Amino acid sequence: MKTPGLPSLLWIFVLALASLSCQDEVTTTHTFRTMVPVYLEMSDIRARTISIEPAKELDNPGKIYIYGDYLLINEPTKGIHILDNRNPSNPINKNFIPIEGNVDLAVNDNILYADNYVDLLAFDISNLNNIRLVKRVEDVFTHMYRHDTGQIITYKDSVLTTENAYWGGCPNCMFYTMDASRSFTANYAAAAQSYGTGGSMARFTLSSGHLYAVDESTMRVFDVKTPADPKFLKPIDLGWGIETIFPFQDKLFIGSNRGMHIYDASTPTSPTRMAVYEHVVACDPVVVNEDFAFVTLRSGNFCVNNVNQLQIINIEDPYKPYMMKSYPMLNPHGLGLAGDNLYIAEGSHGLKSFKVSDVMAIDQNQMEFLQSMKSVDLIPGPKSLIVIGPDGVCQFDYSTPSKLVKLSCIDVKNPIVVK
Amino acid sequence: MKVKLFSLCIYFLAVSTSYGQQKTYYNQTEFGVMFGRSENQWSGETEERSNFTMLTFHGARIAKHHVVGFSFGFDNYETVQIIPIALGWRGFLGADGKAQLVGGFDLGGGSTILADEEKSEWGRNWWEGGIMASPSIGVYIPATNGNTALTISVAYKRQQLFQFNGTYDRIDPSVQLASASLPPGFNSLTETKYLFQSLVLRAGLSF
Repeated sequence: MKTPGLPSLLWIFVLALASLSCQDEVTTTHTFRTMVPVYLEMSDIRARTISIEPAKELDNPGKIYIYGDYLLINEPTKGIHILDNRNPSNPINKNFIPIEGNVDLAVNDNILYADNYVDLLAFDISNLNNIRLVKRVEDVFTHMYRHDTGQIITYKDSVLTTENAYWGGCPNCMFYTMDASRSFTANYAAAAQSYGTGGSMARFTLSSGHLYAVDESTMRVFDVKTPADPKFLKPIDLGWGIETIFPFQDKLFIGSNRGMHIYDASTPTSPTRMAVYEHVVACDPVVVNEDFAFVTLRSGNFCVNNVNQLQIINIEDPYKPYMMKSYPMLNPHGLGLAGDNLYIAEGSHGLKSFKVSDVMAIDQNQMEFLQSMKSVDLIPGPKSLIVIGPDGVCQFDYSTPSKLVKLSCIDVKNPIVVK
Repeated sequence: MKVKLFSLCIYFLAVSTSYGQQKTYYNQTEFGVMFGRSENQWSGETEERSNFTMLTFHGARIAKHHVVGFSFGFDNYETVQIIPIALGWRGFLGADGKAQLVGGFDLGGGSTILADEEKSEWGRNWWEGGIMASPSIGVYIPATNGNTALTISVAYKRQQLFQFNGTYDRIDPSVQLASASLPPGFNSLTETKYLFQSLVLRAGLSF
């Protein structure tokens, strides 16, 4: 068989070979998350009417708050979802309250408190079909103000891509964009970690007719004895790096970068410091009962603990907390305490439950280890155990504490990634 | 792809009888060196590089002067080792039993299965291979017994390669941002695209 055209084909190859360059080409692009500053006039924010919107899909939930038959779920910087949870097997998404700059919330007697940049808002949610803004307390979270212009500054979490030279030369170098702890995302994350009904990583907390809100260095006390009329009482300086607050009985447990502060709130208007337990940092979630604080430390977050442990801290004398015992864990994230039952989210390793009536022998009293249930956070609620993980916001029946039964999962558009 | 391979097999079976005097199966295995120029990432100076390469082509004779098949090999670049896998063609020019000119073309991808993926609690570094295209020209010198032949080829090889260096979000639970350019769970990702362009000299055997 004759194949015409073959010589010419070969000639094309020869010519092609001759004209091709043998120079390698290397191009580098760097994509990173960063904070883009946004400047806002509070007068503009206040001028906008907040109108309740129909249910929205959960995008990237932050703090979860259980109030009676309802779940209130914060969408960081965007607003609050309200879900009807009368039947935990089938929670129904009802409403969305759009609140700019909102990262935290608390509910007191049908009044929802929510931050709106520097202001505190109070909504009447007694009738979900008629949610009303009843009060705005202005200029309370003043750390967001820029003093020179009177504008507020906030940061938008963004993804940027560059092809720049300062990075391009060294593809194997580690690269840190910014100190993540200073970013607004860290605040989101703090808000996102809600351990316990009130949330051990919550920055808003209610205790004896008062609302306590903590920011980086200050605790702000509001009198909410008349729920619809919150009054700002005073700021209390706490020192630097404050991130979380957790009330128990008449005490406040405040997590900072340096340790856990224990405050006596028996005089609610002016809590006083009892002790600082310095070996625990803010990335370490804490739950407490009368005598003990349960703390998880783990590797892989920016606190660089390099240990994976459950620590038991004796707080019988709140002026002298000390560590009693620690247990090795795999990679513990959030934890939740329901009576004598402790639930620990082990990240990608699953979910563990323990009996903790004997704190010196917790390792011998493991009830369950659900390895398929990847999780980062838990909230033991009155109706269900809420578990946050890659499947979204899931609820479990834990009426038999040793045997969790899955009830439902609320889908989330951008679920948490468990590594 | 599967359909194409299947029809190739059918064709292979159908034509294997009609070229009884010539073997249907064609193999060409060659070793050689890739020559190229790379820019030093620190100094910006151009450096010559020469890397070991190996290629084995297996095909079926679909016409008297045409062989189609697939090829795979091993390319030892300085940064990473790649296994190129491609579909290929070889065409012959010249009289049977004498030295012939061989033209070839291989088109496929490079696998980075030999490259290490580094994983730590802070991040992940990995490689991905890209498109590989390689036209070639050479000579086919049959041995006197006619069963085997010596081959010498000159080729151009264009190989894409991607290197990814990612750091995880150290904030937990990480707040996700919908972004096509940053996979979920990462705080930053550096993508380095390499395009290796080499002149390849190879010699080997064919049977």
